[in-house]
Amino acid sequence: MKGSKIKHIGFTKQRRRNIIGCFISILIAIVFLFPIYWLIIMSFKSDTETFGKILTYYPHKFTIDPWLENFRDKDFLVSLRNSVVIATLSMALSLTLGIPAAYGMGRYRVPGRKALLLTFLITQMLPASLMLTPMYLIFNNLNILGTFFAPAIAIASGSIPFIVITLRPYFKSIPVSLDDAARIDGCGVLKSFFKIMLPTIKTGIITVTVISFLNGWNDLAYSMTFNVEAKMRPLTANIYKFQSKYGTRWNCIMAYGAILVLPVILIFVFLQKHIIGGLTAGAVKE
Amino acid sequence: MKMEARKRLEGFAFILPGFLYIVLILGYPLLYNFVLSFKNMDVKNFKTAASVFIGFKNYIFLFKDETFQLVFKNTFVFTVGCLVFQFVIGFVFALFFSKKFTLAGPIRGLILIAYMMPMAVTALLGKNIFGVSEGVVNDILMKTGMIKEPVEWLVSTGTAMIAVIAVNCWVGIPFNMLLLTSGLTGISDEIYDSAAVDGANFRQRFFHIILPLMRPAILSVLMLGFIYTFKAFDLMFVMTSGGPLNATDVLGTYAYNLSFTQYKFSLGAASAIVLFICLFAVGLFYLKLISKEED
Repeated sequence: MKGSKIKHIGFTKQRRRNIIGCFISILIAIVFLFPIYWLIIMSFKSDTETFGKILTYYPHKFTIDPWLENFRDKDFLVSLRNSVVIATLSMALSLTLGIPAAYGMGRYRVPGRKALLLTFLITQMLPASLMLTPMYLIFNNLNILGTFFAPAIAIASGSIPFIVITLRPYFKSIPVSLDDAARIDGCGVLKSFFKIMLPTIKTGIITVTVISFLNGWNDLAYSMTFNVEAKMRPLTANIYKFQSKYGTRWNCIMAYGAILVLPVILIFVFLQKHIIGGLTAGAVKE
Repeated sequence: MKMEARKRLEGFAFILPGFLYIVLILGYPLLYNFVLSFKNMDVKNFKTAASVFIGFKNYIFLFKDETFQLVFKNTFVFTVGCLVFQFVIGFVFALFFSKKFTLAGPIRGLILIAYMMPMAVTALLGKNIFGVSEGVVNDILMKTGMIKEPVEWLVSTGTAMIAVIAVNCWVGIPFNMLLLTSGLTGISDEIYDSAAVDGANFRQRFFHIILPLMRPAILSVLMLGFIYTFKAFDLMFVMTSGGPLNATDVLGTYAYNLSFTQYKFSLGAASAIVLFICLFAVGLFYLKLISKEED
């Protein structure tokens, strides 16, 4: 009799904690995510409402015109395509070179591995402004200035170390017995890499794929510097152009921004679980 | 023995392509910039100045230059301001969301969107939110009676830095939360339970258990935070262009403008090297921390 009463109290206490936790977290979300809410609602306001004297906190007259205006603009579509191409290209390059390097660093006791790891870590400290002038000259010599390769190659140089640092602990954590089993089954080195290792660390692979895509998608400095012509620039680097085009028509500017943020939101809604685990594995060691 | 040599070769075969790429694409520019910073190259003497070294003159010029001094100071003010707020708030968030309640996971995930957004868009949004008449920050402050007149956030030199720091913290808080959360999950429930049995209250648990156990995670997040914040570029470039009157100009934007709007390549290289040396000084501690835990 007494036992069940204690259990009952414990249960309600736990439930109360849950409700308080949820309540506070909703408050945090409302305050913290307000800028994203603002970005989205602004993009659905009409011109009259945007220029109105009174600031409205939700679109009183909901319209998708600002979005349509962007999508009807040929320059916008070209920039959008450029963003996709640059992000995909730099992602492909980063994954092709980064994943094998992480595998080698995680599973082979190669001599000098500490120095190799330090080199990858140091590259995280290099600011873009340090790289721009020399890269500009190199790409000029290679004759790839003004092409998608210039920004893609530069962006990949940042993503590859990230992939190595993030995935190395994953590869390290795969038990050696799995290698041996693969060898006994007659798997060669490459086959065991593709057929056994990669599927085993799926979470890590999803994380680095997403992040290396976003590194390209989010890039501003490299594309802006290496591709001078607006028709070769991605959405990020053309922000100034569209800003001066729209003037103070913030609804159109915000629609432009919302379209740039959309992939990020989609990725997070659908792959959240994988990415959060994956991001923290390499950065901090317990 | 032969087997071992073969394995080593295998390992190198996997590592080398990526490693060489990094060394070529990043190592060469680093050296090139270093050399360039001891020359006097600009757009006019591109060919003739290539072989003339002028020693430390660029560096001496920079440190005597008032604008550079301001930019140097700005970079530190920006970095320290961001680190303090994003670390404290990020830590509070990490502690809070490590509690077990239904919405902990989903809302933590939503908050991370701020961290992954393109900085160019975040900066654009910041420009709008901190606008004088169209900005929602002023609107809220006026409505709640905290200010009487609209604040000219990005127009006056005194407030622009505050606005830029606030926007950067919005990105930095999720980053700090993420890394500190993973540090927190490293502390096992048993340690908490035994502390609770011993009758430790939250303050005691925080200062005697959580902080000491999270030391490596805290150091990592502070040093990585320093590195990412100190080299800021996109935010200022879009939100303020370094203005008004260089009030939000930092080493990243300053070096870029020297090289690509004024075409003073050597001076630009020198200020980029100054930026790198500051990053590297802090980075060395980070490398030491990481490599100590490495076998």
